[in-house]
Amino acid sequence: MSATNDLSTSKPLPTITDLTRPFWSAAKNSRFVLQKCGRCATFNFHPKPWCIECGSRDLNWVDAKPFGTIYSHTISRTVAMNSPEWQSEIPLLMCLIDLDDGARMYGQVTDCRPEDLHIGMRVEVHCVDISDDAGIPKFRPLAAPAKVDHA
Amino acid sequence: MRGEVAIVGYGRTPYSRAKPGEPVLTVDEYIAWAADLALQKAGMSKNDFDGQGLGVAHAEVAHTVNWSAATAENLGISPQVLLRADQGGASAASMLIRAAAMIHAGIVDRVLVVGADTPLSIPSAAPGLPLSPERTRGVYWDFQGPFGVMGASAQFALVQTRYMHQYKLTPEQLGKIAVNARFHASLNPGAIYRKPFTMEEYLGSRMLSDPIRLLDCVPIVNGGLAYIVTSAKTARTLTDRPVYLRGFGEINNYYHGSRALPDITTTGFAQAAPQAMKAAGVTHSDIHFLQPYDDYPFIAMMTIEDYGFCKKGEGGRFVEDHDLRFDGDFPLSTDGGQLSGGQPGGAIGGFMPLVEAVTQLRGEAGERQVKNARIGAACGFGGIPYGRPGRSCISLILGTEP
Repeated sequence: MSATNDLSTSKPLPTITDLTRPFWSAAKNSRFVLQKCGRCATFNFHPKPWCIECGSRDLNWVDAKPFGTIYSHTISRTVAMNSPEWQSEIPLLMCLIDLDDGARMYGQVTDCRPEDLHIGMRVEVHCVDISDDAGIPKFRPLAAPAKVDHA
Repeated sequence: MRGEVAIVGYGRTPYSRAKPGEPVLTVDEYIAWAADLALQKAGMSKNDFDGQGLGVAHAEVAHTVNWSAATAENLGISPQVLLRADQGGASAASMLIRAAAMIHAGIVDRVLVVGADTPLSIPSAAPGLPLSPERTRGVYWDFQGPFGVMGASAQFALVQTRYMHQYKLTPEQLGKIAVNARFHASLNPGAIYRKPFTMEEYLGSRMLSDPIRLLDCVPIVNGGLAYIVTSAKTARTLTDRPVYLRGFGEINNYYHGSRALPDITTTGFAQAAPQAMKAAGVTHSDIHFLQPYDDYPFIAMMTIEDYGFCKKGEGGRFVEDHDLRFDGDFPLSTDGGQLSGGQPGGAIGGFMPLVEAVTQLRGEAGERQVKNARIGAACGFGGIPYGRPGRSCISLILGTEP
């Protein structure tokens, strides 16, 4: 994974707390981490105060497999309930991604033509810098051509 | 608790799209207006609620702390019990259940439940779309907004795409729900959009977030609604047409399957609706109409099948095979729903299925009246959890007899 840069816009930034800092800091350093339950080994996402499976507060940030499978997808063709700064990325490919470690997350898929997006598609994480303190994981097709023109 | 409480009054203010030149009312003014209409309908006065109950639904628009008590202050009522619901579009339904429990316990005899919102008057980061401060704070937002999630249409589009992967569903089937809602709106003077549209117009409306189109979406409005619930005994002294709460079912944060990787194509209605029908002592064939929380035609369709009117996965086919008009064999969203009626903020739209069900059961629905309607189902559906369709699912069975 190599971090790319998205520091030039004013897209919404997360409010970073002690709970969530490990996630943002890791992505800033091109690492993908998730909370893993020390009792039942469930991976939790988004960050939780205890394990939603067993209730244990023994949650630990661990390196997670940076791979997943598209569970569902949509193509956002307008900006809605979000910052107008996203306009430059419309049409935006938004997915629900089942991570190989067993959690599900919203993720933007890049480097993919809208018509190629499909359920079951294998994707990998790549991290994008969004501030001095945070990066964000996005996804791209696994073993896809290096760069595809969105137009 | 079957038949122990009844609704004796309801009110729904005219809705506004807040066009230039229209007067801009505050949430407090809409609450008072809706409450006034409900009190008039019930033949009651605000002073009848001193020492009784007042319920206030959450609003998107900024409001003060202790908001339910502040609302009592604004209305000049001294209630014994305050209810405050923050279950989004399930708030109106949940307060009916809470009020029924309070009345059942003998704590109060009656509750005035109000809700209003002015989402079009919220300063917004996205022009024309409300983005209240509560939506843009906290861990829930932090893991969506910065990721590029575009609100409810993207969230529900993801559910719909998955559904269409697992089951058969055509755009025409959902279009039928949208066209039908607009037809009903044409018969409802209170609906915000009343000019019928065709299936071709539905299919031709622009894609916002595949597979969700413009005509799948609700028009957001400013407005308010209210209802009054009392003990059955008091209800009978007030009106010869009380609408009884026959049964209810509720589930919050429902998972279908595992918590980490649930199947998102089934809603909590799969649990709440059978519970409500069992409590009411009715089966599907006893129900004369369904008022779903129709924030999208797709949600109305899933509601139908999760209620068990057909097998899971056959909701599209069910819609195709039935006449959804008020005079058809499966009357659906008889007021035009939120799809064509308008949505006064997510939370307050949840009053509409309840208020329309009561309107129908009292025989006050005018041109869109379902003949001989005696038992009806109304839904509350509130909030969008991370990566799933509905935080709160409530099913209400209402009837003209206890």
